[in-house]
Amino acid sequence: MAGPLDGYRVVEIAEGVAGPYTAMSLADAGADVVKIEPPQGDRSRGWAPSLNVGDGDDSPLFRALNRNKRGIVLDWSSADDLETARRLLSQADVTVVDKFGLPPELAWDRLDNPGLVYCAISGFGPNGPWADRPASEIGTQMASEATSSLGVLGNEPVRHGSDIGSVFAANNAIQAICAALYARDESDPGHPTGGQRVEVSLFGSLIAMRSTLWVALSNPDEWWGFHLDSYVKPPDHGYQCRDLPIYFSLARIRGEFFDSLIDELGMDWAREHPDYEKLRTDGAGGAGRYAAELTPLWERGFANFDAEQVIEIVERHGGWAFPMHDYERLSRDPQVEAVGAIIDVEQQDGSTMRQIAPPWDFEGTPVSMTMRPAPGLGEHQEEVLAGLAARS
Amino acid sequence: MESEMPGPLDGVRVFDLTLWMVGPWASTQLGALGADVIHIEQPSVDPRTLGAGVPPTINGTSIGYMTWNQNKRGLFLDLKSASDRQTAYELLQTCDVFLINMRPGAAERMGVGYEQVKAVNPDIVYTAITGWGEVGPMRDKPGADVQAQYFTGFWSVSGAEGGRPEVYRHMAQIDATTGNVAAQAVIMGLLARKRTGKGQRVHVGMLRAGMALQSGRLAEYLSTETLHQPLGSAAFATAPDQAFQCQWGDWIGVSVTGEDEWQRFAAVMRESEAEVEGIDDLATDPRWGSNRERVARRSELAALLQTGFEQRPRQYWMLRMSAAGIPCGYPISFETLQHHAQAIENAYLREVETSGWGKVWTGGAPWELSRTPARWFGACLPGEHTGEILDELAARRATADEPAAVGD
Repeated sequence: MAGPLDGYRVVEIAEGVAGPYTAMSLADAGADVVKIEPPQGDRSRGWAPSLNVGDGDDSPLFRALNRNKRGIVLDWSSADDLETARRLLSQADVTVVDKFGLPPELAWDRLDNPGLVYCAISGFGPNGPWADRPASEIGTQMASEATSSLGVLGNEPVRHGSDIGSVFAANNAIQAICAALYARDESDPGHPTGGQRVEVSLFGSLIAMRSTLWVALSNPDEWWGFHLDSYVKPPDHGYQCRDLPIYFSLARIRGEFFDSLIDELGMDWAREHPDYEKLRTDGAGGAGRYAAELTPLWERGFANFDAEQVIEIVERHGGWAFPMHDYERLSRDPQVEAVGAIIDVEQQDGSTMRQIAPPWDFEGTPVSMTMRPAPGLGEHQEEVLAGLAARS
Repeated sequence: MESEMPGPLDGVRVFDLTLWMVGPWASTQLGALGADVIHIEQPSVDPRTLGAGVPPTINGTSIGYMTWNQNKRGLFLDLKSASDRQTAYELLQTCDVFLINMRPGAAERMGVGYEQVKAVNPDIVYTAITGWGEVGPMRDKPGADVQAQYFTGFWSVSGAEGGRPEVYRHMAQIDATTGNVAAQAVIMGLLARKRTGKGQRVHVGMLRAGMALQSGRLAEYLSTETLHQPLGSAAFATAPDQAFQCQWGDWIGVSVTGEDEWQRFAAVMRESEAEVEGIDDLATDPRWGSNRERVARRSELAALLQTGFEQRPRQYWMLRMSAAGIPCGYPISFETLQHHAQAIENAYLREVETSGWGKVWTGGAPWELSRTPARWFGACLPGEHTGEILDELAARRATADEPAAVGD
């Protein structure tokens, strides 16, 4: 069976993370995606590290964000190639573009396809003084205030190391594209004319993702709430046990359960500590009110146990505790295996690459987990152009 | 920004049996896109527990509830009571989407498992959200953002250079990501229904959504089996792509992600006439000949560039880099963002009226749709629209040819 977006045709003219992630998700869900690259290729092919499989030395990131697409190369300095792009767009349901050098001939209002959902992903949004400013992760993470939740105030800003601005924007783009397709097909089934332009940005997406914090800053009745004091807290490294760090929450641990927890952890000395009353409150563990100042106390106790033991003890007393996985431990975790989060994608040269599965399960229109590899540069040129000619 | 034009999901109705953040955030998005989202609460609900009681509060209500239940109507239903359950089934007949985020099995116990809902409305797109998935040893464990951040390694790729990795201190990023992914799944399910004519059950979990969010970084690890070490403001994949300190101590973030940008960046640095050895030759120096070579010598390159950046004010660099098409930006505080033209003119940050808590600031719709614009309005009170929704059902019953069929 085909995925939920079976039958939709998508053209991607984008590089890096946000646009390619968007189009890949549509492809994973069953859409037919053609990726147009410039002669030198998507810039992310040359990002670090190098991966010597398939068609060359692409980066793992490129291969991971461009699977299930067919790839062609077009050169915007060629009138013929521009015309090819125009014709591809005239037959598409969706276009995903970013701001990397898109020629004006391919702007939304210059195209002859009233049913097209034209999604433009930008750095800072379509309006305002920065509308035309190019953007990146560090630029938008800083401008949207996302970096104030990491590092130490006044020191070098710390970026979130995964591409959160780009992926948040992609997730929003996927929603909006699907919603716009729904609106189009609802009003004009068969011969759609109700396409539209959809705009999404990294900056706007990062702001939207901090909505809880913005509401929290709206004159609350109390100031310490954990969304607020993240401004002044020191870096949070979790709770180090003898071997590995964990996160834990005291949840419902009170009274005799708390005393028993302290006993089992061998933390008798803590009863004499001036902060013991704080330790007994709900604000002592995890994201609680006194978490930062009490971390050394807990870590002194946890140092005598492995993470697995502390997790068991805390959970037996009615709290929650979780291992803090790095990517190695995550990739070996039985739960990750059980839900099939990591998949093998066979590459052109027969090697397999491990990638992350799409995040949705559709019982009626299942997504195929047998993926096609990211295209080599121009790999599907003849096939796509032949298909275009056949439909014209 | 508000418009009389209907949103893209106009006509779609959502039965929103969600709590805490993940599910409510999904339906907040659907409501903004024009769906009629009916958010269900138990009549006995304690307002102090709404939004998981996440502090701080305004007038006794968690700011979590206020953030995660925007763009909805509120309905009280007690699914443990037989009569309210009948009302639920009647309402479900008018719905296109069912949304729930509870542990596996909870829906069935309330009479709203997929088979039970399907019996009432076979066309429904039934979407279940879980924390860790519907199978595996952790399926019954509670899942929330904090746990997901730690478990999925989201914390492990950030931190000061040379230091230990650190947790992102604003929770809700994986909650919200999972909510966004669930909203995608709902709309994809609606699109599939147009083609197949059938509803279906859809599932989304935080574990897989949180890992998908990190697809690029995880692919790098899975291919090289080398763990990322924190690099402060710097990128792992590209260089130079990090923050530099300008004259008077201000920070600027500058990113060079391809060779065209590198050539333009080199020109800006040369034209700055900053006094640094080698700054005139960036474009031709073989040490910096490709992105991978620059990444391999990132510290050396950053030290050279830092000496240049600190000789001119940030505004100089922002103007020159922007003019040259080099991605850049600088830290902006919330107090400034509230009044910043870029946030306001795109309605990314806005002040909305609420029924119970006065005006609050909130992030707005992250999309702009040219023909069917999104909308945004403040959170409903629990059960606020109960009378209105029950009246609509009564009117429908009065005009129906046959009495409403009731299943279970």
